[in-house]
Amino acid sequence: MKRLISIGLAVVLVTGVALAVIFGSGGGTDSAPLTTVRGVIGSEKLAFFSDQRVKDAFARHGLDVQVDPAGSRQMAIQTDLSRYDFAFPSSSPAADRIRHDHGNAHTYAPFSSPMAVATFAPIVDLLTKAGVVHKGAGDYDVLDIAKYMELTANGTRWDQLPGNTSYPVRKNILITTTDPRDSNSAAMYLSIASYVANGFSVVNTQQQEATILPKVTPLFTNQGYTQNSSDAPFEDYLSAGIGRNPMVLVYEAQYADRLVRDDGSIKPDMRLLYLSPTVYSKHTLVALKGPGDQVGQLLNSDPELSKLAATFGFRTQDPKYFTQVVSEHKLPLPTSLVDTVDPPSFETLERLLDAVGKQYGA
Amino acid sequence: MRKRFIALAAVLAVGLAGCSGGDSKDQKQPLGQAKAGVLRVLAGSELADMQPILDEAAKATGVQVKFTFSGTLEGAQTVLDGKADSAYDAIWFSSNRYLTLLPGGAKKLGTQTKIMSSPVVLGLPNSVLQQLGWQDGKVTWSQIAEAAGQHRFSYGMTDPSASNSGFSALVGVAAALAGSGSALTPDQITAITPQLKQFFAAQTLSAGSSGWLSDAFQKRASGADPGPKVDGLINYESVLLEMKGLTVIHPSDGVVTADYPLTLLASANSDARDSFRRLTDHLRTPDVQRRIMETTHRRPIAPQVPLAKEFTDASPVELPFPGTEQAVDTLVSAYFDKIRRPSRTVYVLDTSGSMEGDRLAALKAALSGLTGVDSSLVGRYRQFHAREQVTLLPFSTGPAAPVTMTVDPDNRQPALDQIKQTADGLVADGDTAIFTSLEKAYQILEQQSDTDPDRFTSIVLMTDGENTAGAGLDDFKSFVGTVPDRLKGTPVFPVLFGEGSQDDMNAIATATGGKVFDGRSQSLADVFKDIRGYQ
Repeated sequence: MKRLISIGLAVVLVTGVALAVIFGSGGGTDSAPLTTVRGVIGSEKLAFFSDQRVKDAFARHGLDVQVDPAGSRQMAIQTDLSRYDFAFPSSSPAADRIRHDHGNAHTYAPFSSPMAVATFAPIVDLLTKAGVVHKGAGDYDVLDIAKYMELTANGTRWDQLPGNTSYPVRKNILITTTDPRDSNSAAMYLSIASYVANGFSVVNTQQQEATILPKVTPLFTNQGYTQNSSDAPFEDYLSAGIGRNPMVLVYEAQYADRLVRDDGSIKPDMRLLYLSPTVYSKHTLVALKGPGDQVGQLLNSDPELSKLAATFGFRTQDPKYFTQVVSEHKLPLPTSLVDTVDPPSFETLERLLDAVGKQYGA
Repeated sequence: MRKRFIALAAVLAVGLAGCSGGDSKDQKQPLGQAKAGVLRVLAGSELADMQPILDEAAKATGVQVKFTFSGTLEGAQTVLDGKADSAYDAIWFSSNRYLTLLPGGAKKLGTQTKIMSSPVVLGLPNSVLQQLGWQDGKVTWSQIAEAAGQHRFSYGMTDPSASNSGFSALVGVAAALAGSGSALTPDQITAITPQLKQFFAAQTLSAGSSGWLSDAFQKRASGADPGPKVDGLINYESVLLEMKGLTVIHPSDGVVTADYPLTLLASANSDARDSFRRLTDHLRTPDVQRRIMETTHRRPIAPQVPLAKEFTDASPVELPFPGTEQAVDTLVSAYFDKIRRPSRTVYVLDTSGSMEGDRLAALKAALSGLTGVDSSLVGRYRQFHAREQVTLLPFSTGPAAPVTMTVDPDNRQPALDQIKQTADGLVADGDTAIFTSLEKAYQILEQQSDTDPDRFTSIVLMTDGENTAGAGLDDFKSFVGTVPDRLKGTPVFPVLFGEGSQDDMNAIATATGGKVFDGRSQSLADVFKDIRGYQ
């Protein structure tokens, strides 16, 4: 069941304006002491929260937001959340779990980002020839997950692709992900792969889980060791190039952020591949204690913070902010994507992740 | 509109400095208590070269790093045991991979921020590369293993249980030889054991640290050390670039890269987290990254910094690292028990009268600790391995009768039991004939290597006093010049203990290409385990 989604159709503009009035008026002044708010966030939002403009925007509302990065699943299961005012994992399933464990706390979903693959021009060419990559509705490239899974099911190596002279490496064709046991982006990838393996439908019975696990588990275990947070493989991608990891699972926002910064980190041969189907990682803030709630409300409603979030590559609840950034910086990114699917329920996803995790023997 | 707030932000930033709250601060620790502005870091010894960068960072950020150096395995054990929790704020090793694979390891770690990287690669002089036909640098590990099996070149490498460079090399070569293209699994290791044996047949120099390895290599090259010259080294690219005369080879089937994640411990308090953030932000700025690249020859993690020309392969292929503890343990155990050239060691043990009491007890415990009774990570990997030949040579007024044991791969326990029993039976009495006993050790080695030459050979000397009987230091020095060629590279590892003479111990190490270990500042058991990395 495929759905067509235009980004950010659930606009809560009215609420946003109302909250802006309420909180905007209480903005800080030079002398007012700031209230420190502590949050634990998915690492891919660290750059956003560390940015001086974002700090300034929060300070205008009397807040000093201090954040620690952590894997989203780690956050939901392992992290001691008692010292934080809010948790801001990168997906709705992780947020659901945290909310459930904290007396149904308020949640806010101010921005989202589709999963994508950061790669290089020669890889796009090779996979296009192999029929795994095709053009999307606009001028962007799409990785067909079903065809990709067929290719990887046989353990095909790069040097086994016919006519491959540009990347004849004796390594399996595999997307580099994070550790499925404690990172959200890997869980999002598992959501996509399980959907495809389940005959293009969201897994929702234990029987389906058992059937698809042998097909999706090797996508992770064949990689061997994986890192636990999504900024690590992306950093490797940016700094170490095609030899280290030719294809890295990323949030679109990570790539878009670097494009906007235009600081030379995106080299001319770097490419972003969209996935078909893909899922949106819905960054969802769970307000755990008093001032955490205010952070959620501001992110949802403050126009300046929304604009800044778009600058960091996130697709905002009101799509106009993201669209503006795309046109302003002439980013080669589509403003809307087709073929997106929902992740399975938190319980199903947890069981799948646990089953994959068991293969690591620890 | 944005600019209006910059001034405000500056004011706020000043106001905020020093207002972060402090957690508990009453731990009594060797490095001192947790303190704002100080980051206590348990680190790999090779990071000592970052000191100038960290000194500048302290000026720029107000965060001072206090290092305590440790081996990778020892460090992992400290973290797993929870002993790092209050003693340190962060750890910084060349990689967290192995620690993360160990049960409970990942939970101990907080934010991990990579600072730089360096692949583990092969360095050979151009002349050797030409002989091997590898001038273009396009070589695979399989080709390297084949040439190694034919003894067409020799190399030095660190012990995989003692140093990350050796560990990474072992993992990399194994992954490449398995050739499956995906991560190594335990059941593949038996199949590649013959090729791995070939590869390690050419290793003629081993060490417990990559720094000592390079020193020993250079001393042998210059003739300062008596051992035979070694052609090349397997080490970090950064170390090889620092040395002269070696060309770096990045095997085309891939490498394993050290990525140096500066890692906050999960237990760190908010001051430490704040310091960590300020320090890592600073270390990752393009200017600092450039400085790191220029002074340490490690690759920058900041993508804005272009690579220097000395990095001949801008993007070496990375081999998958095993994803399970079981795969790594199977590989490392196979390395020690089946793959590497087995070692042969004579332990020259002082049992003079002054060893009576605690000292003799410490010696017995240290030897027993190597027979499998120590179940720690380090103990497990440093015990006597299958095929290993161990000779205990107690001495006092003169050398006593040596006892030699060889660990049978199919039945290890008898030899291990015998080592333990022999150690337990040592009795202290008499004078101290250090040099006569050392000479005896060489005679034993000469005999043993006559029929079975292909072993890593070394001598461990443990004495608690000055030489009071038999030959003197000068006699020994001239004796060393007369040993057969095959024993010329045999290092003596003297252990400083009790009233042992530091000068004599240094002289012995220098004359034989060995290294002095200090048994006064740490336990004899730990020292004996450390020495294992060099055998």
